[in-house]
Amino acid sequence: MTAARRVYLDNSATTPVDPRVLSAMLPFLTEKFGNASSVHFFGQEARAAVDRARREIASLISAKPNEIVLLSGGTEANNLAVRGLCESAEAHGRHIITTEIERPSTRGICEAMEKRGWEITRLPVYDDGIVRVEDVRNAIRTDTVLISVMLANNEIGTIQPVEEIGALVRDERESGNSHLWLHTDAVQAAGRIPVNVEALSCDLLSLSAHKIYAPKGVGALYIRRGVRILPQTVGGHQERERRAGTESVASEVAFGEAARLARLEMQERIEHTRKLRDRFESGVVERIGDIVFNGERDKRLPHLSNISFRFIEGEGLLINLDLQGVAVSTGSACSSGSLEPSPVIRALGRNDELARGSIRFSFGKDNTDEDVDYVLEVLPRAVENLRRLSPLYQKAMAERACAIEHVNVV
Amino acid sequence: MGELSDANAVAEETNPVCGDRLRLMLRVSSGRIEAARFLAYGCAPTIACGSVLAEMIEGMNVEDAARITRQEIAGALDGLPSRKQHAAALAVETLRAALHNLNEAAG
Repeated sequence: MTAARRVYLDNSATTPVDPRVLSAMLPFLTEKFGNASSVHFFGQEARAAVDRARREIASLISAKPNEIVLLSGGTEANNLAVRGLCESAEAHGRHIITTEIERPSTRGICEAMEKRGWEITRLPVYDDGIVRVEDVRNAIRTDTVLISVMLANNEIGTIQPVEEIGALVRDERESGNSHLWLHTDAVQAAGRIPVNVEALSCDLLSLSAHKIYAPKGVGALYIRRGVRILPQTVGGHQERERRAGTESVASEVAFGEAARLARLEMQERIEHTRKLRDRFESGVVERIGDIVFNGERDKRLPHLSNISFRFIEGEGLLINLDLQGVAVSTGSACSSGSLEPSPVIRALGRNDELARGSIRFSFGKDNTDEDVDYVLEVLPRAVENLRRLSPLYQKAMAERACAIEHVNVV
Repeated sequence: MGELSDANAVAEETNPVCGDRLRLMLRVSSGRIEAARFLAYGCAPTIACGSVLAEMIEGMNVEDAARITRQEIAGALDGLPSRKQHAAALAVETLRAALHNLNEAAG
């Protein structure tokens, strides 16, 4: 079956490589192929390109170039941040504060530390999907060495109060607790909203290239000057001995160019995706009943919308939309391969049915008004078809009919 | 798919692990399944198994229907990935429950 049109609304999963990014990186696969560690001309050409890329990436988050460690992506960045910091700070305590809505790479590395005897406090988010600074304050102990709170959630887009948590950490330091550090996973936020490591006062910040129109397989960890981490990949002297391995020059050049474009076009992209997202949401409200928006709508990334459609299962809706050319993602357990539906939607206090029926629509700079029109045409039909098939829907409709009849009789 | 108003064999089963749900409604007369309809809540394989099962059993004798296996249902769909086998299991379970609930006098 060939769809009439293809609409990609899964830009939080990944984005296409921008043609400008591609043309910046291509020469570094062919004629400028040198190893950035080599002393000769080829090596120096690659070295200069990596340094330029590092400056651009630093500039996107208002950091200094030597605070940027280039690596393989967001997962490695989160792993290195948590394990690297913890192993280096172990003498001061073995307690980590994090949240219930972190991405699997942060969640997983915290679990790994827990197995090694670390204590983890996982803070709740409330029905708005936002962690409370007060909860962070109350969770801090004398043996807490790391607070890891994502800047924006990947499923519901809620922006966390990292700046306020940063201020809290600053206060702690001023009152003598110098062994407390702050990490934030900014993979979803960077390039989509302004991110400034000074404003956030974070010590570590994770970035990924493929969310901002660069290829997969490259990312970065910002490590504030003076913050010590224990390297997890050892060998050569690359990345100031914080991450060994021959530089992936072409990918890093691409990341640099994508970061530059994201910085220059930030406002334009924000306005464009927000306009599409808002029009999409008002269209959905007009056309489809029994829906629940997930995540505080005023404190969200501008490009993302997460909606639970009652009485139906997210994977069924995803496949139905896919057959019509529309690509989205779901918190349904069926599609993730796990048995539990999205822990993020569950953390909002939603029941299993709402968690299973949640769909994430994430817009990108290349989406158009026609894309929104098309989705608003196929989505209500898809929801309607699945609801007609759903025993939960039939039951709810029967109960409502009863209730109306009852009211009429009374 | 849909409801069957004059059904005399009905069952609704839930997969306790993932929460998928299948409702099967049959009209049985003189030991033969004259009509079969289903409703499903769950992943695509659950919906597909409900659909293919309803097609398979229409016109079938009750005894033959009771012998349908989950392998046959999966086979009718050209196979299911191993982690989706539970969808066919749910279909068989719902069918057997419906036949167990059969009340031919009511039909």
